Amino acid sequence: MPARKTSALLPTAFSGLSDLVEGWALADSTARLEKRLTTPVAEIRAFYDRMLPCAAEALAYLAERQLGALTPQEEALLKLMLSLAEMGPAIEWYGTGAYPDAFDARRFPLVVTLPDNEAQGVAA
Amino acid sequence: MNERVAKSPQVTPANLTLKHPELGTGPVPARPYWDPAWYARELEAIFKRAWLCMGRVEQAKSPGDFFMKKLPTFDLSVLVVRGKDGELRAFHNVCKHRGNHVELREAGHCLGFTCPFHGWTYGLDGKLAAVPDEKGFHELDKKKLGLTQLPLEIWEGFVFINLNLKPHQTLKEFLGEHGADLEGYVFHRGTAIFEYEGVINTNWKCMVDSFCETYHVPVLHRHSIKDTLAGPDNPHGRLIDIRLKGPHRTQSVWGNMNYTPNPVQGLAFQYAPGPSVTSGVVDEHSVLPKGLNETRAPNWSIDVTAFFPNWIIVMGSGMYFTHQMWPLAANKVVWQMRGYLRPATNAAQRFGQENSMVELRDAVLEDCNTLERIQASLDQGLINEFIYHDHELALRHQYHVVKQWVEDYERSKST
Repeated sequence: MPARKTSALLPTAFSGLSDLVEGWALADSTARLEKRLTTPVAEIRAFYDRMLPCAAEALAYLAERQLGALTPQEEALLKLMLSLAEMGPAIEWYGTGAYPDAFDARRFPLVVTLPDNEAQGVAA
Repeated sequence: MNERVAKSPQVTPANLTLKHPELGTGPVPARPYWDPAWYARELEAIFKRAWLCMGRVEQAKSPGDFFMKKLPTFDLSVLVVRGKDGELRAFHNVCKHRGNHVELREAGHCLGFTCPFHGWTYGLDGKLAAVPDEKGFHELDKKKLGLTQLPLEIWEGFVFINLNLKPHQTLKEFLGEHGADLEGYVFHRGTAIFEYEGVINTNWKCMVDSFCETYHVPVLHRHSIKDTLAGPDNPHGRLIDIRLKGPHRTQSVWGNMNYTPNPVQGLAFQYAPGPSVTSGVVDEHSVLPKGLNETRAPNWSIDVTAFFPNWIIVMGSGMYFTHQMWPLAANKVVWQMRGYLRPATNAAQRFGQENSMVELRDAVLEDCNTLERIQASLDQGLINEFIYHDHELALRHQYHVVKQWVEDYERSKST
């Protein structure tokens, strides 16, 4: 087998989360919802439990950095945190992944999205 | 002595409805919530006469900028354009030649509009500028063939139009005290925008009502926002206050200032670009206008202002969002929920924004199966009337306002 090219997926301090990047650093908000709707709750909980202990440190790290000017590693870390934001209520509110009387969230999609990694300017 | 009770903010007594004797206290007929014939009357009397919100002035900042707003109720498309003179104008997106849409993009910048059918071209002011092979027409008065301009007025940066070319009220008159009392809110600071849209099988008024009472919060939203907007000191989700002025209504919603956020939620509150609704914090940018939390209650979370007929603004001190309902039938509505967050000034705040987008969506979707079940019950003739709690006064008010607009309009036509 050819040797795989290895390069850091996340900033060094967060390299312990690198195995999560492939499955949880996703394209956008819509992809994160789809992930939540199609992932067994045990798997969501495992992701949540891995991320939560690092979350405060990750946010402190990201708070020093600007949207639109992130390295690929920093962007991947942000995207993991955005997945944590999507999965948060699945665990913290519902425990079962979805509201017990869940309306299909695909029937209420985002039609205007907030980009993950673009400078947002300053409010007037 | 029970110290806890002594320190708890008092919940508002169930005496709000009695302040509005004209609305009565009895049951409200259910027919207007399912009857197709009544719905047809609402379209004529209300949706073709009331001022309707199209968007924000920032969506067309410079001359040549435009955005399109679809009105699903009428299968219409309205173009909002900033002219060379800096003025915003609204036009029916309909070519005077054969009726095709002159602009197909949802937003953009242009020097004018060229119909993609035969190439008739209109200026930013709507005037017909050029007709290919003009000599081939026998009678053509280009001066009379501009795009049909709709009345457009602006309130606090929100662009409104009226489908009636001669509105019976100005926008200012229409918004009345409710509009005046909200002037000065930091609407313009919510520049990080997201929007959800879907079709719900419910009457448009039921969809409006869904956001206009919090009696259901401790039960329907027991897994999510119960402890934020209700909680142990307000177990039945009483409102702080409700204000009815003309056709519009505002409720000030109680907030649990002792709320302990969940772990991820707590981090999101910490990194949100504006104060969260239960923080009790009013940041330096948010000088609250008179009409927001009008009683200045310390345990305030949000105000929900339902502008008649179909536009609701939910305002906190650090963010706001809007709901707009476009009926498709007596039992079907297009629902648009648009969030206006403060812009993220660093990458961590993007996480706070995502949490707002997600929790808001999750919480409002909890209402939707219930709305569709209610509509099925209505359509099957199983509900003849609605019985309203005192703090469901906004629902009673909507019923009366709708009825009054329909009856007043029909009376004015017949005289």
